[in-house]
Amino acid sequence: MKRMTKYFVSVSGVTLAALAASPVYAEGTAAGSTITNTVTVNYEVGSVGQNAITASDTLTVDRKINIVIAEEGNATTSVSPGQQNAVTAFLVTNSSNDIIDIRLVASQIVGGTAAHGGTDNFDMNNVEIFVDVNNDGTFDSAADSPIVGFLDEMDRDETRRVFIVADVPLGRATGDVADVTLTGTAREGNDGVTGAEGAAITETSGGNTAGEDTVFADADGVFDGIAFDDDDYTVQAAALSALKASSILGANYPIAGATEFYNIPGATVEYCIAVTNAAGGADATNVAISDPLPANTTFVASSIVIGGSATIDDNGTPGNTADDILTSCDNSGGSAGGSFSAGTVSATLGTVSAGTTEIVTFRAVID
Amino acid sequence: MKYLIALFALIAPVGALLANQVALDSEVFVERSVEQADGSVTVVVEEPTRVVPGDSLVFVLSYENAGAEPAENFVVTNPMPDAVAFVEAIDGGAVYSVDGGTVFAPLTELRVASDGGVDRAAQPVDVTHIRWTLTEPIAPGASGQLRFRGVVR
Repeated sequence: MKRMTKYFVSVSGVTLAALAASPVYAEGTAAGSTITNTVTVNYEVGSVGQNAITASDTLTVDRKINIVIAEEGNATTSVSPGQQNAVTAFLVTNSSNDIIDIRLVASQIVGGTAAHGGTDNFDMNNVEIFVDVNNDGTFDSAADSPIVGFLDEMDRDETRRVFIVADVPLGRATGDVADVTLTGTAREGNDGVTGAEGAAITETSGGNTAGEDTVFADADGVFDGIAFDDDDYTVQAAALSALKASSILGANYPIAGATEFYNIPGATVEYCIAVTNAAGGADATNVAISDPLPANTTFVASSIVIGGSATIDDNGTPGNTADDILTSCDNSGGSAGGSFSAGTVSATLGTVSAGTTEIVTFRAVID
Repeated sequence: MKYLIALFALIAPVGALLANQVALDSEVFVERSVEQADGSVTVVVEEPTRVVPGDSLVFVLSYENAGAEPAENFVVTNPMPDAVAFVEAIDGGAVYSVDGGTVFAPLTELRVASDGGVDRAAQPVDVTHIRWTLTEPIAPGASGQLRFRGVVR
């Protein structure tokens, strides 16, 4: 008997596994399917078992229309002025219990509070909507395709990632914000047949029926089959300023008893160019310097040194670079580089991080 | 001996086997919370014309002894429809099955296998069948209802 019990237990285990394997949709039972509840009664009369009686009741599951659009991640997208193809990502989910199309429109707000708290003060250019076709989470202009207005045949529970891709106008300053909104509208599906956007969906009017009705069940509380979310772009511009100073190198005392250097022919002058990227902005990359050699001087071959430190006097006005004075440069930490041709000194500083200063020095002899 | 009893049982009841002495009806209603003008929320039970996933359902099983004899050992068994997740029984005394109707017991005594081969205490959502066994015979003409709640998956 114990063996028998064990056997039963294992059989019921199999049944459970089979139950668990049946698909469970978070968004539930498909629209139009029926729920039939059947009850069975067994009883006895005069201690004699009677025929079992059954009764059943059937109802039809209505169509619930609910789409969800949510920005992916919860941070602004930092962009540079003039940047092409700046991307924000959204997840579009069909939380209906039927296959639908979803029409997508990207729009921009004018003024007002942006998605991440800033105030919208400019619009992006060339706003396009792309679908993340290869589902890698990264916008790829070759693999992903711009969509023509709608997401086709979204299955129940299906989520697709959508990118809004736009260009940043030139001339925007650090802290400027552009808000973009992705709006989705539920449209009729076509039973999984792709190719065309379906008709508008309307709620069943004239009262509920025993058959399949259509009901808007928007999570946002506005029952219209429309959902939206917004995201924003925040400009991180690099604010570069350059200062230049010169100093005479080496002793040149043409006059007996003199104790100072003189800017006289034959004297070697070291020029220092200091490039500062203001704090709070973006790192400036590929920063290059070109400086025409002053007239009446001769470039000292291989004298360009990139890197080192500078001392800058802000004249008591931090943040205002207009009146800053470069007081000294120290190129002992730098390394040789750059080039001189056609009377112009060229050097590449590379990246100047926000809040830092990079220098280039070179020498010339006064003719 | 067992064989004999079985044979006897087969022959004996012929006279007492009555055609549908008990009338049975199964109905389903939707339960909704409706906010009133004064802000209070009342629960409204209505016909299931508008049903979407997540809606709360009330199943009402009505029985009546239409015969002349008491109905004894009255056992009502209701399998959960696939699209319905059991929530709770409104009328007490129910036992449950979580294995497709093989074993019936109070829910607290049932366990189900979970991922990783470890079993866990059964939850309402695991219920596959609900069953009431009435201890008292139902007198002729007597009727009653048994109710439980479920939610549309």
